[in-house]
Amino acid sequence: MAKILMVKPSCTNHYYLTTAAILSPPKAALSLSKSMAACSSFCPQRPLQFRRKPISSLPIKTQFSVQVKAFSSQESSAPPKDEIPARVGFLGLGIMGSPMAQNLIKAGCDVTVWNRTKSKCDTLISLGAKYKSSPEEVAASCDVTFAMLADPKSAVDVACGKHGAASGMSPGKGYVDVSTVDGETSKLISAHIKSTGALFLEAPVSGSKKPAEDGQLIFLTAGDKSLYETSAPLLDIMGKSRFYLGDVGNGAAMKLVVNMIMGSMMASFSEGLLLSEKVGLDPKVLVEVISQGAISAPMYSVKGPSMVQSLYPTAFPLKHQQKDLRLALGLAESVSQPTPIAAAANELYKVAKAHGLSDDDFSAVIEALKVKLQERP
Amino acid sequence: MEEIGFLGLGIMGKAMSMNLLRHGFKVTVWNRTLSRCDDLVKHGATIGETPAAVIKKCKYTIAMLSDPAAALSVVFDQHGVLEQICSGKGYIDMSTVDAETSSKISEAIAAKGGHFLEAPVSGSKKPAEDGQLVILAAGEKALYEAALPAFDVLGKKSFFLGHVGNGAKMKLVVNMIMGSMMNAFSEGLMLADKSGLNPQTLLDVLDLGAIANPMFKMKGPSMIQSSYPPAFPLKHQQKDMRLALALGDENSVPMPVAAAANEAFKKARSMGLGDLDFSAVHETVKSSKGSS
Repeated sequence: MAKILMVKPSCTNHYYLTTAAILSPPKAALSLSKSMAACSSFCPQRPLQFRRKPISSLPIKTQFSVQVKAFSSQESSAPPKDEIPARVGFLGLGIMGSPMAQNLIKAGCDVTVWNRTKSKCDTLISLGAKYKSSPEEVAASCDVTFAMLADPKSAVDVACGKHGAASGMSPGKGYVDVSTVDGETSKLISAHIKSTGALFLEAPVSGSKKPAEDGQLIFLTAGDKSLYETSAPLLDIMGKSRFYLGDVGNGAAMKLVVNMIMGSMMASFSEGLLLSEKVGLDPKVLVEVISQGAISAPMYSVKGPSMVQSLYPTAFPLKHQQKDLRLALGLAESVSQPTPIAAAANELYKVAKAHGLSDDDFSAVIEALKVKLQERP
Repeated sequence: MEEIGFLGLGIMGKAMSMNLLRHGFKVTVWNRTLSRCDDLVKHGATIGETPAAVIKKCKYTIAMLSDPAAALSVVFDQHGVLEQICSGKGYIDMSTVDAETSSKISEAIAAKGGHFLEAPVSGSKKPAEDGQLVILAAGEKALYEAALPAFDVLGKKSFFLGHVGNGAKMKLVVNMIMGSMMNAFSEGLMLADKSGLNPQTLLDVLDLGAIANPMFKMKGPSMIQSSYPPAFPLKHQQKDMRLALALGDENSVPMPVAAAANEAFKKARSMGLGDLDFSAVHETVKSSKGSS
């Protein structure tokens, strides 16, 4: 049996290779052509490129520089199914959804889109995406439908509301919700989807606008394992790594924990930048000092320079960071876990929201510490 | 560079002076508990009986003490630095103290004709051993330049930040962020665990993204095992948080996250965890369950 590997080098070329993982040499060629055929039905427009190497000598994983990392908290020994999702739906074309859908199209996938504000679909349509006027119609016409919505309410509306995706779902189809929501919302959506006989996967992502554009997202999935396996090639187009974490709720929880830490870190960093400035230091030097030491994180190096100039170009809207903190605090409460640092950080984001900074980048939280905040009407 | 004096052979001082010896510097050491000098002597150091004796012998002397009280004591007490400091001699205090302590020492040294440089470091035990510290110097520029050969051995990067006080402040700001980050990390690890996730998987996820950093990578695995070998004692981290908050107070800068983090470190100290690594603050997040 052939294993289909998606390989992503650090540049933007995507190419698909197959390797005979288990077969003995004489059968390798046959399975290779079978896999390539499957690949081409999956991505009809993309010419296949592959290395001309004798497959028989391949060790299982090390022959190619595989930069996709797949992690599973459970044994993952099932071979890939013969059906790879041919028709892909995408609901929600905001900051994240638009570049994610674009990456799917550029990789040669057959994509159908929907967005509440239709004009946001224009770019995708011009790239070759189809359009349907409701989540229900998208789901009905696709094998796997992704959803990237801003918050629990939109996620539920799109999945379970009138003309929602669930109404178009049926056995053999899959719904992959990549929105960031709380576990209860995810379970609610899962129940609605699965009641139609379809499969469900929660798959929130770690990474914001640029990683979405660059196909460098990290998927934190949970739910139907078989849907995880069949959508893996699609996740690998949009991301650099994926995790399978078990039951629905685990992906949501992992995402909330990560963003809770991130929100607290950004708030603490803001305190440091402001303090350094107030005591007569150069905050740019603080950013440089931090980059040299044990607490050096990409987020600080990327956001620090713009924060020092009071600029907050939106990669991750502050309102969404605050939503994530709120949901994380809810999760903590549900398991009786005190989180004083996250609670203190959350207050700062609320202050920032109150001053109209919801749609700025979450780094605008630094304004909440200032006496005269930058306000938006 | 001529013979260097080194006062204070704790976790940091011992590693730093050893590094200097290994790179061919002649070093005269002093420590309040004399027995800690033994290893250094084996590697070629000579002993000074008192801080004053070390100053008398050496043109430049580095100090690495644990807190403001120790830093002041070494300078002002009987047989202290002030007894022998004079024109032509330089004193480089690499301890982490508040700006006021540093200024006090600086003025006293200058009054005797001596030269002063504050140079607290970012980095703990391993970077000290590996000569990978980040040095945050401020004070006399000429002394900074004279010290560079030693700094190049001790660290990977040195900053000159201007007048006395700036190095101290920069260090406190960095450690304030670090202390808050450690608490945020600890909350996340615990929440992951309590929510039925594998904390090691959280570490894997963090390591791939925008908030990946060496501290999480280094400390995470041992925190999951409830193991806290001291690279940076919790009591010193709490001292730094306290000094940073005082700096915020003086300048009316709101620091609610740092204040919450400081409370956690205080709790850890009251639980007797002061001499463990600062990551032991994780124990406070754990013990909160059902405790009175």
